[in-house]
Amino acid sequence: MILTLAARELRSGLVTPMLWVLLGAGQVVLAWIFLQVLEDFSALDAAARAAPLTLELTLNLFGFAAVVVMLAAPLLAQRMLSSEFREASFDLLEAAPVRRLSLVLGKFLGLWLLLAPLCLLPALNVALLAGTVALDAGQLAAATLGLWLAGGFFAAVGLYASSLSAQPGASVLAAFGLLLLFSVIGRAEPLLSTSLSLFGWLAWNEHLLWFLFGAVRLSDLLYFLLFTVFFLALTERRLVNRRFA
Amino acid sequence: METLVRVTDLSRRFGARLALSDVNLALERGHVLGLLGPNGAGKTTCLRLLAGVLAPSAGRIEILGLDLAREGREARRHLGYLPDRPPLYPELRVDEYLRFCARLRGIPRRRIAGALDEAKHRCGLDAMGRHPIARLSKGFRQRLGLAQAIIHRPRLLILDEPTEGLDPYQMRAMRALIRELAQECGVIFSSHLLPEVQAVCDRVAILHQGRMLYGDYLAADQAPHLWRVRLSWPSAQAAGALNEAEGCARLTELATVHAATALGEGRFRVVLADGASSADLSRDILGAGLALYELQPERSDLERIFFDLTGAEDPQ
Repeated sequence: MILTLAARELRSGLVTPMLWVLLGAGQVVLAWIFLQVLEDFSALDAAARAAPLTLELTLNLFGFAAVVVMLAAPLLAQRMLSSEFREASFDLLEAAPVRRLSLVLGKFLGLWLLLAPLCLLPALNVALLAGTVALDAGQLAAATLGLWLAGGFFAAVGLYASSLSAQPGASVLAAFGLLLLFSVIGRAEPLLSTSLSLFGWLAWNEHLLWFLFGAVRLSDLLYFLLFTVFFLALTERRLVNRRFA
Repeated sequence: METLVRVTDLSRRFGARLALSDVNLALERGHVLGLLGPNGAGKTTCLRLLAGVLAPSAGRIEILGLDLAREGREARRHLGYLPDRPPLYPELRVDEYLRFCARLRGIPRRRIAGALDEAKHRCGLDAMGRHPIARLSKGFRQRLGLAQAIIHRPRLLILDEPTEGLDPYQMRAMRALIRELAQECGVIFSSHLLPEVQAVCDRVAILHQGRMLYGDYLAADQAPHLWRVRLSWPSAQAAGALNEAEGCARLTELATVHAATALGEGRFRVVLADGASSADLSRDILGAGLALYELQPERSDLERIFFDLTGAEDPQ
């Protein structure tokens, strides 16, 4: 059932222009950054280079791709629930013998797969350099994995926000608000006198950074897994409670 | 007879507003139940509750003996639901959409093609398989909505104003289809069109302000009891005025007439005596020397019940 729901979301996502517009716009921006990183790197002497090219690419190109995915996820997610509430097509799923959890997982999987091409964009750009320069494939793989995990987290937040309102615009804004909060929350840390780094730990970018460095740490994997599951659980509760509202 | 759905003391609140209050009904296989009521009477809320889309505030719904609240997933297997707006995905094609609905309802993969063809055929969508839903007309969208509701051959079919927005031909086809479907399942459908309910339903439940005011079998073959006649009698015309009291008195004297009321300009509403028919009435009127200009059935019994119960003003 989860696969049926995910396949339907994929099909709908592929035949509507939103994904293609996001992919096109994302590629233009990433290509520009890619070019700039290469320009800057090749302009410097070997001695003056502060970091290897792979690190320059992961930090800049993959780092910025994460922001693109963060902006794209809520836009794709609003179609999943919010638009369905508004168009009343959600009644079809409500009246079907489907568990709410399967429904949420199916939608999430569809959304995550729709975000996959966006997450692969930086790696595809970097693939242009194959055979010309020696890059650290492991680090690039780690960065891509981190990006996709972050994409899953963004998708879960987007899906939850999408379940909050039958107004797609409002749900997109709610998702942006939540994701921005999770982006800047780490900045609160220096303001606190204690050594507790809870706020720093809550920020997704702190965890993605380790993937960009090429380190796949269990704690970072757990962070993305935990928050993805947390927001999916909230979405499921929201859908169950919706019948009583 | 097998009871498909049994509703006990069903109530639903939206905040402080009581949208549905203490509704009780039951439906057997092969029957069509019409939910009748003015706009805002609670018809859609009632159907959404029956389809499991909304949870009741109080009361119980059993579908084939399965409690919809506790065994919802199992109970929903037997349900087909067409909401007031057909739940379609405009970006898909008709076949893609129906295939998705079939999988959603748990039809085994090898039977999907057959179920899809049958549903399309019954709803007149045979040639539409490759059409994008976004380009379908309203009538075809409604048919597609119905096709998704029947694709898994449900035991209970819930239709929310299925003929809304259809042209008279499509309306007639839809009514015929509902009657045909009722041969193998029970159908509950809502409407605010009295003739439609009379044409399609075996039973009717009238909702008004969230309460069920009436629920009974419709006696389809029963002859209308109320008739309207227009008379003229030469003596009165000669005097220059129609004496209505006299007209009423003379009509009431007839053996076939139980009571008569004057409506003005020579028109009278006549209640037939038990066992009398319109043929007897016309024979009696002519026999009494009255000139019969018009004889037509008064509003149907259902219409009368509806207006009496909902407290609406009599338009006539």
